Amino acid sequence: MAPSQLKKLKASLRESGVVGPQKSKKQKKQASKNGTLREGRIQRNEALNSIREKFAPFEVKAPVRNKFDFVSRNGVAGKASKGVVGRPGVTKGLGEENRRRNLLPEMQRRNKVGGIRDRRFGESDPTMTPEERNLERFVREKQRGDRKASMFNLEDDELTHFGQPLASDEAGNLEDFKEDDIELSDVSASEPEDDERPHKRQRLEDDESGSDDDRTKVDGTAQPGRPKTKNEVMKEVVAKSKLHKYERQQAKEDDDDLRAELDKGLPDLFTLMRGKPKLPVAPPPENLPNGTMNPDRLALLNGKDRAQADKEYDERLREYTFDQRSRPTVRTLTEEEKLEREATKLKTLEEERQRRMRGDPESEDQESDADEEALANGDPPDPRDSDAFGLGSGIPEEHERKELDVEDEDDFVLDDELIASNSDVDLSDIDDSPIQSDHEASEDEDREFVQGLLSKEDTAREELKFLANEKETAAKSTSTDVPFTFICPQTHSELIEISNSVAITDLPTVVQRIRALYQPKLAVENKTKLGVFSAVLVDHISYLANRPSHPPFSVLEALIRHTHSLAKTFPEEIGRAFRGHLSDMQQKRPLAPTPGDLVILTAISTIFPTSDHFHQVVTPAMLCMTRYLGQKVPQRLSDLVTGTYIAGLVLQYQRKSKRYVPEFVNNIFTTLYALIPPESMPGRPVPRHSIPVSLHMSKQKGSSSHNRELEFWDTVPSDEAPDDHNNPLKESLLITHLAFVVLIAQMWRSQSAFVEIIEPILELLAHVESQAIPLNFSHAIKGNLQKALIAARQSHAEALSNRQPLELHHHRPLPIKTSIPKFEESYNPTSHYDPDRQRSELSKLQAEHKKERKGALRELRKDANFMAREGLREKRERDAAYEKKMRRVVSMVQGEEGHEAKEYEREKRSRKNAKKR
Amino acid sequence: MSSFPNVGKTIRKRKRDELRNPDDVDGYTSILELESQIRASRRHYNKLVTLMNLCWSQDSHVDNEESTLAVVAVCRTFCRLIAAGSLSRNHDTSHNEGVVVQWLDDRYNDYKEMLLKALSRDDTSNQSTALTLIMRLFKEEATYLRKSDETLWRSGTFAKALKTLIDAGPSAAVQDEFMQNYFQEYDDVRFHTFAQLGTHASLRDSENSLANVLSMLATVKYVPETPDDLKRSFIKSPSQPHQEFYSLSAHRKQAQDAWLAVLRQPLNKQQRKSILGMMSHRIVPWFSRVELLMDFLTDSFDEGGSTGLMALSGLFHLIQRKNLDYPRFYHKLYSMLDYDLMHSKHRSRFFRLLETFLSSTHLPAALVASFIKRLSRLALNSPPAAIVVIVPLIYNLLKSHPMCTFMIHRVARVPCTNVSGDKFQMEELDPLKTHAIESSLWEIRTLQDHYHPNVATIAKIISHQFTKQAYNLDDFLDHSYESMLQVELSKDTKKRPEIEYAIPKRIFAEHEPSSGQEDNIMVKLFSFA
Repeated sequence: MAPSQLKKLKASLRESGVVGPQKSKKQKKQASKNGTLREGRIQRNEALNSIREKFAPFEVKAPVRNKFDFVSRNGVAGKASKGVVGRPGVTKGLGEENRRRNLLPEMQRRNKVGGIRDRRFGESDPTMTPEERNLERFVREKQRGDRKASMFNLEDDELTHFGQPLASDEAGNLEDFKEDDIELSDVSASEPEDDERPHKRQRLEDDESGSDDDRTKVDGTAQPGRPKTKNEVMKEVVAKSKLHKYERQQAKEDDDDLRAELDKGLPDLFTLMRGKPKLPVAPPPENLPNGTMNPDRLALLNGKDRAQADKEYDERLREYTFDQRSRPTVRTLTEEEKLEREATKLKTLEEERQRRMRGDPESEDQESDADEEALANGDPPDPRDSDAFGLGSGIPEEHERKELDVEDEDDFVLDDELIASNSDVDLSDIDDSPIQSDHEASEDEDREFVQGLLSKEDTAREELKFLANEKETAAKSTSTDVPFTFICPQTHSELIEISNSVAITDLPTVVQRIRALYQPKLAVENKTKLGVFSAVLVDHISYLANRPSHPPFSVLEALIRHTHSLAKTFPEEIGRAFRGHLSDMQQKRPLAPTPGDLVILTAISTIFPTSDHFHQVVTPAMLCMTRYLGQKVPQRLSDLVTGTYIAGLVLQYQRKSKRYVPEFVNNIFTTLYALIPPESMPGRPVPRHSIPVSLHMSKQKGSSSHNRELEFWDTVPSDEAPDDHNNPLKESLLITHLAFVVLIAQMWRSQSAFVEIIEPILELLAHVESQAIPLNFSHAIKGNLQKALIAARQSHAEALSNRQPLELHHHRPLPIKTSIPKFEESYNPTSHYDPDRQRSELSKLQAEHKKERKGALRELRKDANFMAREGLREKRERDAAYEKKMRRVVSMVQGEEGHEAKEYEREKRSRKNAKKR
Repeated sequence: MSSFPNVGKTIRKRKRDELRNPDDVDGYTSILELESQIRASRRHYNKLVTLMNLCWSQDSHVDNEESTLAVVAVCRTFCRLIAAGSLSRNHDTSHNEGVVVQWLDDRYNDYKEMLLKALSRDDTSNQSTALTLIMRLFKEEATYLRKSDETLWRSGTFAKALKTLIDAGPSAAVQDEFMQNYFQEYDDVRFHTFAQLGTHASLRDSENSLANVLSMLATVKYVPETPDDLKRSFIKSPSQPHQEFYSLSAHRKQAQDAWLAVLRQPLNKQQRKSILGMMSHRIVPWFSRVELLMDFLTDSFDEGGSTGLMALSGLFHLIQRKNLDYPRFYHKLYSMLDYDLMHSKHRSRFFRLLETFLSSTHLPAALVASFIKRLSRLALNSPPAAIVVIVPLIYNLLKSHPMCTFMIHRVARVPCTNVSGDKFQMEELDPLKTHAIESSLWEIRTLQDHYHPNVATIAKIISHQFTKQAYNLDDFLDHSYESMLQVELSKDTKKRPEIEYAIPKRIFAEHEPSSGQEDNIMVKLFSFA
C-alpha cells in the first residue's frame, strides 16, 4: 500500500531540501553574506512549485487515450508516446485574463452612449513626464497647422528658380531658418547638414528618407502602435510623387543646361578644328523658360482652395465624358486590312459551319449535360434505347450554341439592291458585344441611308427592272406611283391588300419601303412589327407562288432575299414561319406539294445553312422532301417533274455536307422505270407500283432537235398537253436524271458504300441504253447517257480500287471492372477510407464544423459565466458600498440622536435639579 | 304475349300510334280477332289461311304494319298449337285428326318457308323480325316436338335458317344480329352453328358461300376457356342433361373442324391474308391440336411475299411449341428479305420475329453474317424508318454473334491488299454460301452520313464500343416519315435557328459570269420563267 498523501508530501519536501535540519545562527549569517540564502530561496520556490504541481493532479491534463493503440502503428510509436500535456488551469487563467481584458471593458461600456475618449498625445503613456508631454503636444500642434496651410506648397513662401532660391546664393545661410524646419530639426541635427543642397530639396529628401521612420519614431514613442490614418498615407504618397516628378524635371533641366553649355562651346570647337580662332560671338539672350507648367496647374499648386480645385476637376471630367472628340477614334483601315478582316470573318464562319455540319457541340458551351454530349459525339447511348436518338419524344437539342454575331453589313456594302436592310440589323439590340468598328459602320451607314433613301431605292428598282426584263415597261409605268408610306402588315391579308394595290414587280420596292419605314431604330415597337411582318412575308412568298398567274421569279427571288436579310434580325420569327409551312405541308398535302411549297423549300435551301447536322428548319424540310420522293407513286407527268425538282433540291441541300440520301437514289429508279418500264427487273430497290402507261416514253418520231428544258411550272399538272403525248418533257426528265447520275457520281464518290450505291444505277443505265434504239433516242439523250455512264463507271472503278475493309473498332480496350477490395498498407481505424473523394471531403468538413461549433459554444458559455460572475461581483460591491454608507448614516444619525438624548437628559436633570432647588 | 318481348312491344307501340288513325283500326282488330278465333276453337283453323294471306307477300317489299302484325299473330298461333301438341302425330291419332295435323303441318311449313324468304330478302326490319320468329318457332319445336338432335339441328328449321343466313352474305345486318343474339349467347347454338358452317364450307355449293362462312367465322370473338363458360343453352331439354356441347373439348373440336373445313378450301390471296391476320388470336385458341394448322401455314409461308410474312408468326408459334420441323426455314426467311419488305407495312412485324429467329447463338456465323450483310445492303435504299430498325438489329446480332464482328473490323494481314469488289453475293439464295462474313458493312458506314441526324447518330453505334448488351428493338420499330416529321416539328424552338451568312445574289436565275459565283443546282436543271 502506497503511503498517504501527507507522508508523500513530507518525503518530497525533504528530498528537495525545503525542510531539513535547522541551521544554526552562524550558518544563517554566513549564507546571507554569501548570497546563497537568496539563491536558496529561489531554489526553494522552484522546488515548491514542482511539488505543488506534482500534488495537484488536475493541473495537468492527461493525453487523450488512444482507443486503438494496439492496432494503429503510428499511434503506438509516435504520437501517443509524445503526448500532448494540457494545462487546463493555465488555459483557464489565460482565458480569464483575456476576457478581463476584452470582454470586461465592453461589458462596462455597455448601454453607455457617447462619451469622451481621451486621445490627447501621450495621455495614456505613463513613461512621459508632464513636461515632455506638453512639449510634444506643442510640437505636433505646430506641425499640423503648417501642413494644413499649404498643401501643395513646394516653395514655402520662397520663390525659387531651378530649385535655387532666387534671393541669393546663400544656400548655407542658416539665418532664414524657417519655422517649419522645426519639425525636422532634431532629426537633421543628427546628420551632417548638407548646405550645398537647395533648401527645399534637402527638406524633401529628408522627408523622403526619414519621414516614415521619423514619424513612426515620433509617434511610436508617443503613441505606441497607432497606425497611420489614410489621410496621412495619402499625403505621403502625394508628396513622394511630387518629389520624384520634381527630381525628374530637375535632372532634365540639368541635362539641358549641360547641353546648352556644350552647344555654346561648339563653335569654338569648330574653329579649333579649322585651326583658325574666330571672334567670340556674343551669346544670344537667354530666354528663360518661364512656364512649362500648365497655368491652371500652377495656380493649383500655388495654394488654390482644395475644394475649389476638386470642383473644377470634376467639372472638367464631366465635360470630357460628353465630348465627342474624347472618344477613341477608329482608325481607317487600309484596303489590305479590310480584305484580311473579311477573310478572317469568312474563315471563322466557315469553321463554324463545318462544326455544325459535323454536329459537334458548341466549343464554348461546356455546360451541356453529359447526355447531350454523348449524343452529339455519338457515344453509346443511354438505357432509353430509342429515346436517346431523338426518335420518340424528348429529343435533346444537339447543340446549344451562342448566337453568331450577325453582321450582314459587309454583304450589303456590295449589295445595293437590298441596301435598306443594313440599317435594321441593330447590332446593339441583338447582342451586347458587337465589334466596335462594325457598330460604328452601321451607324454611319444608317445615317447615310436615312438621307439617301430615295436614290438607293431607285437604283434598287433599276436592278429589279433589269431582272424582270419582260415587264420592264410595265414596271416603269407603275413604279412611279408606288406610295412611299405603308402600314406595316401584321397579317397576311393586310399584305395581300397592299400588294393588290401595286404592280407585282413593285412588290420588292414596297417591302423595301416598309422595312425602311419601320426600321427598328426609329421606334421601339417597330422591332416587333417587323418581326411579324417578316413572318407574313414568308406566307406571302408561298401565296404568290401558288397564284395561278405565275408571278415572275425575279419578284420571288427579291422577296426571298429580303426574307433572308430579315432573318438575320428575326431568326426566330422566320424560322417559326417556315416550320409552320412545313407542318402545314406534312399534315395537309404530304404527297402533293404546291408550287408554293416548292418555292418555300427552295427558299429554305438558301436562307438556312443546309449543311448543318441538325437544324430546326432544314431537318424537317429534308424529311418532307424525302417523304415525297420515297412515298409518292407517280400518276401524272407533273408528279415526276415535282419529284425531279425535289430531288434537285435535295442535292442543293446536300451540296456542302454531301450526305447520303437513299430516297434520292430510289427516285431515280422510280422515275426512270416510269419513263422506260423494264420487262422484268428483279431486286429493284423501289417497291413495285402500278404506273400509268401514259407516263411511258413512246418511240420518238424523227429526231426532234429542240431540247426542252424542264420548267418550274411543269410541276403543276396542266391539261393542255396530255401526258402520253408530252414526249419532249419526258425526254428532258430523262436528261435531268442522267445529269443527276453524273452529280451523285461526283458527290458520293468518297462514300464507303459508293460501289453498292452505283452498281444498281449502272444496271439501270444499261437498261436505259438497251432501249436507245427501240425508242429512238435523240442525240441529246444519247450524249447525256454516255456522260452519265462514263461518270458512273469511272467513279465506280475508282471507289472499287480504293476500297478497304472496315476498321471501325480501333478503340482502347475497356478495362474489366475489378471487384477485389483494395488493401490498405497502414490501416488506421480512426481515419476514413472513403473512396468517394467528394464524400470524404464533405465528412471532413462536417467534423470540422462540429468541432468549431462545440468550441464556440464552450466559449460563449464561458463568456456568459464570466459576465455573470462579474455582474455578481459588481452587485456585491455596490451592495457593500451601500451597506457601508447606510451604516455610516445610521450610526451618524444614532450618534446625533444619542447626543441629543443626552442633551435632553442633561437638560431634564438640570431642570429637575433647578426645581429641587 | 310475354314470350315476344321485342316484337310484341314494338307492335303494341305501333298499334297505339295507328289507333289514332281510324282507317287502320279495322285491319288490326280483324287480325286480332282472327287470332283469337283460331285460338278459341279448332273450327276456325281455316281462318289461319286468311291470316297467313295477310302476311308479307312475296313481291311486296312494302313494310306493312298490318302484315307484320299478321306474321306475329300467325307465329303466336303456331306456337300455341305446337305447345298444345296439335302438330304432333301420335300412334293413337285418328285419321281425321291425322288429316288435320297434316294440314296444319303443311301450313306450318308454308309459314316457315315464308319466313325464310323474308329472311333472305334485303329488308332489315323484316329480316330481324323473321329471325326472331324463326328462332322462337325453333325453340317451341325443340321443346315440344321431341325430335332427335340430328333432325332438330342438322336438317330442321335451324339448319334452313342458318343456310339462309350464310347465303345472305357478310353485309347482312341480320347475320350480325344472329351472331350477337344467338351465337354468342347460347352455347348450343354456337356448337351446332360450327357444325353447320363446316359442312357448308366443304360443300361449296355456291360461289361465295366460302367467303360468307369465312366472314361469319371471322366475327367470332369469344372463345370459351373453361367448362364453366358453357352453361347457357338456347333449348332447355330436360331429357338430356349432359349434352355434347357442354364439354369444352367437343365444343372446340366442332370449331376446329369448321375452321379446318374452311382452310382446306382453295382460298384466294385476300382470304388467306385475312385468315393469317386473325390466326393468332381468333383461330389458334379454338384448336386443341394446333399442328393441324401446319399445312396451311407452311403453304402460306411458301407463297412468300406479304402472305409469307403473315404466316411467319403462326409458323413460329408451331416451331416453338409444337416442334414443327420446317426444312430450310432460314433459307426461306433469307429469301423474304427484299427491297419491298423495307417499304412494307408489315415491316415491324417481320423485324420483331426476325430478331427472335436470329437470337439463337447456335446459328452458324456465316448464316447470321448473310442476314446482317443483306439487311445492311437493303438499308442503303430504305426509308429512315427502316434504317432505324436495321441498325440496332445488326448491333444486337453482332453482339450475340461475335464472329460476325469481322464485318465491321478487319485488319488486313497483308497491308494494302486490293479488295476487288465485294465477296458478298447478293443474288445467292443460300445464306450459308453468300460469303457475307468475308465482306464489310460499308453500307452502314455510309449511312452514318445519312441526311437525317437521328438516323446518322443511330448508324454510328456500329462504330462505337459495344458496351451495351442489346438494344430493345421494340423502341425502334414503329416509326415512319410522318412520326419523324411530327417529332421534328413539334419540338419547340427555343434556340434561334442558324441563318446562312451569305445572301446569294441569284436564286432563280443564273449568276452573271463576271461574278464568279457558282450557279445553283436548281438553276442548272430547271428554267424559271
